[in-house]
Amino acid sequence: MSKLTLDSFKNKSKKAKKNNTNFIKVGLSTCGIAAGADTVFNVLKEELKKKEINVPVLRCGCAGMCYAEPLVEVKIEGMPWIIYGKVNEDVALKIIRKHVARKQVINDYIFSIKDE
Amino acid sequence: MQNQKKIILVKDTNMDKETSSMIDKFLFGLRERGLSEDVKVIRAADLNIYNKGVVVKIWPENITYANVKKDDIDLIIHRTVENGKNIDELLVSETNKQLRIVLRNCGIIDPEKIDDYLDNEGYCALAKVLSEYSPDEVIEQMKISGLRGRGGGGFPTWMKWNFAKAQKEETKYIICNADEGDPGAYMDRSVLEGDPHSVIEGMIIAGYTVGAQKGYLYIRAEYPLAIKRITLAINQAREKGLLGDNILGTDFSFDLDVRLGAGAFVCGEETALIASIEGKRGCPSPRPPYPSVNGLWGKPTIINNVETLANIAPILHNGGDWFASIGTEKSKGTKVFALTGKVNNSSLIEVPMGTTLRDIVYNIGGGVLNNKKIKAVQTGGPSGGVIPENLLDTSIDYENLQRLGSIMGSGGMIVMDEDDCMVDIAKFYLQFCVDESCGKCAPCRIGGKQMLNILSNISEGKGDLEDISSLKRISQALQKASLCGLGQTAPNPVVSTLKHFEEEYIEHINEKICRAKKCSLLSIYEIIEEKCKRCSLCQRSCPVEAINGNREVGFTIDQEKCIKCGKCFEVCKFEAVSL
Ligand SMILES: Cc1cc2nc3c(=O)[nH]c(=O)nc-3n(C[C@H](O)[C@H](O)[C@H](O)COP(=O)(O)O)c2cc1C
Repeated sequence: MSKLTLDSFKNKSKKAKKNNTNFIKVGLSTCGIAAGADTVFNVLKEELKKKEINVPVLRCGCAGMCYAEPLVEVKIEGMPWIIYGKVNEDVALKIIRKHVARKQVINDYIFSIKDE
Repeated sequence: MQNQKKIILVKDTNMDKETSSMIDKFLFGLRERGLSEDVKVIRAADLNIYNKGVVVKIWPENITYANVKKDDIDLIIHRTVENGKNIDELLVSETNKQLRIVLRNCGIIDPEKIDDYLDNEGYCALAKVLSEYSPDEVIEQMKISGLRGRGGGGFPTWMKWNFAKAQKEETKYIICNADEGDPGAYMDRSVLEGDPHSVIEGMIIAGYTVGAQKGYLYIRAEYPLAIKRITLAINQAREKGLLGDNILGTDFSFDLDVRLGAGAFVCGEETALIASIEGKRGCPSPRPPYPSVNGLWGKPTIINNVETLANIAPILHNGGDWFASIGTEKSKGTKVFALTGKVNNSSLIEVPMGTTLRDIVYNIGGGVLNNKKIKAVQTGGPSGGVIPENLLDTSIDYENLQRLGSIMGSGGMIVMDEDDCMVDIAKFYLQFCVDESCGKCAPCRIGGKQMLNILSNISEGKGDLEDISSLKRISQALQKASLCGLGQTAPNPVVSTLKHFEEEYIEHINEKICRAKKCSLLSIYEIIEEKCKRCSLCQRSCPVEAINGNREVGFTIDQEKCIKCGKCFEVCKFEAVSL
């Protein structure tokens, strides 16, 4: 890794947002992990691999909605940007098979809709 | 694969009974108009709007309607779904009560990747400070910002930094206090796990400002993931030239190390914490001298809380006056709270100072569990107090909470309902402080224990009205004479419950009843004849043979003999033993 200098920050444009791409994000802090987010993370990755779908599964910290952990944020083009909550293995599979693969939203597990 | 054209999300925010029939009505209406193919209807679990009847959200327009009645559905389909027009009477402006400064990256970036932090304006404040600001100019911005310590005391951060900066010593230290010991609090853990670089950036800026070369993060050993992520972050920052010699190519050098907490609550107190890092027993010592003058290994030391430090980069990036524009006159910026207890959404929240407790409980927390009546909100952990229901409209800032007999504290916020007994709550927190007292000073060691004895007596129905004045008297002694904050604030939960709920104490003492039915020794166990199936299980389980009768005539409990152990209550399969 090369070292940064003051100059590295000179030409930095405002936020280098990477919002336009598809991704799945799992909250992997203590609260999430205690609720089973580790398993969910692995199930999501494996199912994507099995289905040969190329969507990155990212990790993040606690988004604050501890009552609904494990939380899985799904951003897929042409679909609402959704945070699913209380996700278990079963719901994780549905996220890939329905939401990602067939572009169908899943009932009962939506805990928040993010604005674009 | 066809994209979904439109989605209608439905949620009953009150009782969750209406949702299904509303959805049926939507489906029926859509089918009638031949829209079933293009419009999907989905049951949402939460749309982050509370106590507003049935909420309907329409995507992709993101129109949100609240208090929707069945009769509105045809109109919604016709006007909004078909013709794209709003129905003004139903619209809710989505006022998000939260404002994320400290938690700006939590739940957004990958805490194990420094590039994610850098892509979100990470270390921009540090670069700005190193290229544009003298240490005095940093302090000036901090002063304008009005930031006060988030570890509990609320001491102006710029002042602390200024004291340390003024010391003419070669060696100085920066310490991050991540010992987070308040029961129910996990704000600092979430920041360290979700955005470790924000704390590191704050520490480097602090180091530059006061002229320190070295910093320590004192993290409680019970936080293994936080320790792992902060250690990883420190290594990544070092590789990038953000820590170590000649940071970002300048002649400023600074490095960080992690120290694990020794597992005692009192080690979160700054002088005890310093002793603990030095390898000594974690006992507090009298102040002054303050750590900013004489701290770690006798050198000037700044000790700041995790949340305080996470505020530094945004302040210097956006300017002190930006920060000062948020909050109330004397309390600037935001506060992170761990909202727990009898609330629907146990969550980690960040709100501007000045938000009311009622807003927090009802509009963010989603109201009280099982629709029970709220009794009070506890803030400030074992050093804090309770704020009763009639004062929930108080806006939160350091002064207001103190005036009500509580404190801001580090951010624990526990919602209590009718089932919580105020004597029991006071006893719980005092027990915590008695257990955690280091024993060095007499007021805390002896006074705390005596107060606890009195509280135990009251909760067991052995109290006396004079006990109340004894409690008040010992409280004063602890507040005035204890060596450190632990003893000085340990009586707060007792004083504040006495202030707002003295009648509950008197009930325990005079009438020997606990209205919340928490103090089990005050409860009277009785057998409800109508429910009793005469199985005799209670009689056989009673350890003191206090249950008279037989399977022919039924059973009764002899109140003289009963020791209120609750065994009969536990074993009865027919809920025939009442409390
Ligand atoms: C018994 C006791 C426990 C404390 N525990 C903590 C703690 O866990 N975390 C913390 O930041 N401050 C704690 N404090 C407050 C610290 O002594 C100190 O005031 C604080 O770290 C200063 O940081 P700030 O100015 O950024 O708030 C505690 C104080 C006392 C008396």
